[in-house]
Amino acid sequence: MAGALTERDFVTKLERAGFTEIKILERTPMGIDDCALYPLFTPDVLDLMRTLIPPQRQQTIGTAIVVRAHLDRHDPA
Amino acid sequence: MTETGVARDLMHSAEIKQIVRSAYAAVDSSSERLAGKLYSPQELAQVPQSAIEGALGVGNHLRHAQIDAGETLLDLGCGAGIDTVLAAQRTGPAGHVIALDFLSEMLERTKTAAAEAGLANVDALEGDIEAIPLADGSVDHVISNGVINLAPRKARVLAECARVLRPGGKLTVADLTVAEEELPPEILTHPATWAG
Repeated sequence: MAGALTERDFVTKLERAGFTEIKILERTPMGIDDCALYPLFTPDVLDLMRTLIPPQRQQTIGTAIVVRAHLDRHDPA
Repeated sequence: MTETGVARDLMHSAEIKQIVRSAYAAVDSSSERLAGKLYSPQELAQVPQSAIEGALGVGNHLRHAQIDAGETLLDLGCGAGIDTVLAAQRTGPAGHVIALDFLSEMLERTKTAAAEAGLANVDALEGDIEAIPLADGSVDHVISNGVINLAPRKARVLAECARVLRPGGKLTVADLTVAEEELPPEILTHPATWAG
């Protein structure tokens, strides 16, 4: 999560890599309670998040997106 | 947060990779509740229990993936193999799925899951998603679930996806994004939030 991009940055990087027809097909908010489903989030970090993140943000600290894109059909060769 | 924000300044690329590697190597299993949240009962009925228990994705990109029979598909960061198995069933025996992960432990789990599912069209490949060990234009479709956010150099990962895809190839990805407003530095520098 700490390394995640914003959606805008993600799409920009896809475009720069040569992808076109980029569509965001799903957006699912992810809160601290969702993080708790992952064994990678230890109890101490979950406690830290609940302490430091304002209550109004705790239900959406990130957003899981599903994105589909196509590589440009132009063949540089 | 953005890539130019606090997080990028506080952690080195090698440090991030080591944190992620150690965290995922230590994962034994996840909660079945996670797989139950992301996948339909029909999908879960098609995959071995070991893959269900190892699910660590953030979405169900396969619900939207237009997978054609006969495709060569790359699963970027296959983990315990749940998406690899579901995708390999859809490519059919004429196609195949290359399951890429940087952890041999995860590749073993994927191979076991594919074997338990009776699939002979899955190849496990150990490698770094920032330097995919495949030839240019060698795959039709790249899928990935909750993995790109773990890479220190996302642009490099996406450039590698573009390199290995044939012109017109497809990318279907689930990944985690964050808002412009950054999380507190104490959280951004905690190892668990880089791996999770």
